[in-house]
Amino acid sequence: MNTLQKYSSSALLLGLGLAGCQPEMHSPKYDRGTADFSKYVAVGNSLTAGFSDGGLYLEGQVYSYPNILSQQFAKVGGGPFTQPLFSDAQSNGSGYLRLAGFTTATPPDEPSPITANVTTGLAVRGFYTPPRQTTPIPLQMPPRPLYTKITDFNINNLGVPGIRLSDIETVGYGSQAGNPYFERITPDAQATQTYLARVTASNPTFFSNWLGNNDVLGYATAGGYSSFITSPTDFADKNSKVIDALTAGGAKGIVATIPDVTNVPYFTTVGPRFRAQLTRLGSTGFVALTGAGSTRKLIARDDIRNDTGGRQLLTLTSSPYLGLLGTVGGRYWRELAISQLRNPTTGAVNQLDYQTLLGALIRTAAVDTTKAFGTPENPLPSALILDDEEQQQVLTATAAFNTAIRSKAASKGLAVFDSNAFFSGVAQSGFITNGVNNTASFITGNLFSLDGVHPTPRGYAVIANEMIKAINAQYGSTIPFVNPNAYRGVRIP
Amino acid sequence: MNLKQLLLAGGALLGTTVAQAGGFQVTLAGQKNNGMGGVGTGLALDQASMFYNPGALAMVRERGVQIGVNATMARQAFRPQYAQYGFDRQLDNTVTTPFNVYAGFGPTEGKWRAGIAVYTPFGSKLDYADGWEGRSALTEIDLKSVFVQPTVSYAITDKLSVGAGLVVFAYGAVNLQRDIPVQNAGNGEFGHIELDGKADQKIGYNVGVYYKPLDKVSVGLSYRSQIDAHVKGGDVTFSNLPNSAVVASRFTASKFDVTLPLPATFNVGIGVMPSEKLTIGFDVNYAQWSKYKQLEFTFDQPVNGSTTSSSVRDYKNSFTFRLGGQYKVTDAFTVRLGGSLDQSPVKDGYVTPETPDANRLGATAGLSYKFGEHFGVDLSTQFISLKKRTQTQEELVANGTTDRVAGTYKTNIVIPGIGLNYTF
Repeated sequence: MNTLQKYSSSALLLGLGLAGCQPEMHSPKYDRGTADFSKYVAVGNSLTAGFSDGGLYLEGQVYSYPNILSQQFAKVGGGPFTQPLFSDAQSNGSGYLRLAGFTTATPPDEPSPITANVTTGLAVRGFYTPPRQTTPIPLQMPPRPLYTKITDFNINNLGVPGIRLSDIETVGYGSQAGNPYFERITPDAQATQTYLARVTASNPTFFSNWLGNNDVLGYATAGGYSSFITSPTDFADKNSKVIDALTAGGAKGIVATIPDVTNVPYFTTVGPRFRAQLTRLGSTGFVALTGAGSTRKLIARDDIRNDTGGRQLLTLTSSPYLGLLGTVGGRYWRELAISQLRNPTTGAVNQLDYQTLLGALIRTAAVDTTKAFGTPENPLPSALILDDEEQQQVLTATAAFNTAIRSKAASKGLAVFDSNAFFSGVAQSGFITNGVNNTASFITGNLFSLDGVHPTPRGYAVIANEMIKAINAQYGSTIPFVNPNAYRGVRIP
Repeated sequence: MNLKQLLLAGGALLGTTVAQAGGFQVTLAGQKNNGMGGVGTGLALDQASMFYNPGALAMVRERGVQIGVNATMARQAFRPQYAQYGFDRQLDNTVTTPFNVYAGFGPTEGKWRAGIAVYTPFGSKLDYADGWEGRSALTEIDLKSVFVQPTVSYAITDKLSVGAGLVVFAYGAVNLQRDIPVQNAGNGEFGHIELDGKADQKIGYNVGVYYKPLDKVSVGLSYRSQIDAHVKGGDVTFSNLPNSAVVASRFTASKFDVTLPLPATFNVGIGVMPSEKLTIGFDVNYAQWSKYKQLEFTFDQPVNGSTTSSSVRDYKNSFTFRLGGQYKVTDAFTVRLGGSLDQSPVKDGYVTPETPDANRLGATAGLSYKFGEHFGVDLSTQFISLKKRTQTQEELVANGTTDRVAGTYKTNIVIPGIGLNYTF
């Protein structure tokens, strides 16, 4: 009996002792490799700023890929990373789109998302009224919002929504007449400082540079109707200048290539549905404008790109107008003129200017709005469709830009995140993160926000991981990844 | 004690383990065997022979009733390849209680023995931490099985006996939960799905041969057939999904069917008795896990737009090697030691959260004490260490197994157990 007690209690102790034996793995060792992350500076455009859902707002800033990167860099000796954050009271920043719901559709039509503008809690400090324009037509353009200036200009995230590489040497780009996002982070005393000068003064030990998207994107999202593509020579020259400025102090860094913008939901969502609708209606196509003038182009229904093929891409913005095909009228042109002239606070539109602008728009396009929409007399506006020829220009320019980016990076021994290859892969077969399949689909794909171009927090986290991968490979570091699923996709009501 | 009573007795203790052996096997069928590395095919230790080798039952000297219960305590660390935080994930601690009940009868000097066994040969219970990286693959699983096995055994000669059991898969239940990677706008929560069902009753068999050519040597062979755990019309429950019809219309299922193979095992054992006091056993088990190709659920209505959900398993057949012995210190007191080497049926790059399997190394110890002629207590403890196992996202992509999560698993399991036996 005594023996039993002795043995049983020791067996019990053994059991309990082992039960407390939580398996331990060696603490992860993270190493910075040959890079020095003590002062990380991020250079770029809206993607770098954390722009999402058609606006720049606090949540997007917090989930910007540079901020995510800096949190991971902190594990290998990275220093503080200051962002030009909007305050909590003005957390909605420029305003943005939210998902309000979905249309009710009778199958086979699919419901469409309904978005609404967030207009409260903005960081608008005032307005800049541009001088009355006299050419090509006399017009008073409406005031443009100016955003609350940051107070500490010593920031690490220099991402400026809207900036093109071709803008980096533009004097006055940080003034009230320039880019409001750059103006916001530019000290008043240095209103003439160019973006390149600001970058030069940042003096990083490590940098990321992702400039150049807007040098094709503006043209593409405008369906080739407005904006322009930067010349490859200018692009290569300015890309070189930025990289030289960033590496002048011996900094290491990562650069990213320009993705093929034709793979984003902004261009891939509406077309396939519309093609299916046209098929049901027995329509074989329509006429659209191409470029900025009055050139017409026949768009065959089966040439609208969907899973099975086709080339023509309809923009997300075309959605409200496609239902008007075949009916008489010029709603698109009226709304375009109003959107360009509307006073952002009062909503008022100067009627004289409106008539002037509308007339000019219609004359330039040579449109007769008394004819059916989609016919040669009243074609689909160019801005609603990125046709094959326009795409070709975008693709050619993107390829040239990426060659410039890669060769400059190679000459400086920089890490490269090939976002072009990465997002092509995403568009083709999705991207799985910890068992979750993410795709390039609008709303349901998790990666793209409600504007159809800019990533969601999930998308930015995926970008950060891919950059970490490239940095680790280039500099022999072992920076840990983040769990992208911990960052939201699109929240559905 | 009839079958119904046994089942009721079992019901009170109903539980399983954190996959105590390879795959989701649980080889804790006898408390004496548990202390000896799980050997038993080549031995005629006690009534638990009904599980290990029905052929050996006729050679078990005593008749008796015995009951055993174990407490399986698993501790797991998981380090995701794509983590959010700088610490390892740990399982929420669960304790499960696999059990066994045996009753053996027969004439004192006769060649026949008969009996009934109740045991829990398959099961798994895992409860992952909230918000863990693999949440869309699994958040919780609870897999249970109870087998009831009426058994007969006949000694053809003094040296050779055979036996067979009718294996009744009397009770099986599965509860599987995971998060759906759709976030609602209300609170940002992920959707959640729970699958809960009971398995149909099925019949299988367990047969064995026991041969003792020499006084000091015995050998045994046994085979337990495959039984498919088939759940028909299990309940599907969704929670936390967005209300919008675009999402809700894709998640309308209410019932599911699934089939899970509980594989056949082929067992060979050798027993050596160098002296009256010392018994040593060596077993090899071969489990036909290759039958487990995929886990496929079919639904009455869509789950994320599809009425089926299939996940690759592609398990491989696997061996387990066991070595153990007992030493009779006194007539009443026996000590046991053993070890096992358990090959994982899960291939590299195929590890799933519901079976975070790896090759296992087990160390066991046990003792028995007899209070007088008839009554005895068996104590056992097992410590099982699963080899640290890493799979990368790159491997998952290459294997087409990206429905699970990349990272490193390390699991330890401790299983103390107690058995009571009454022999006559």
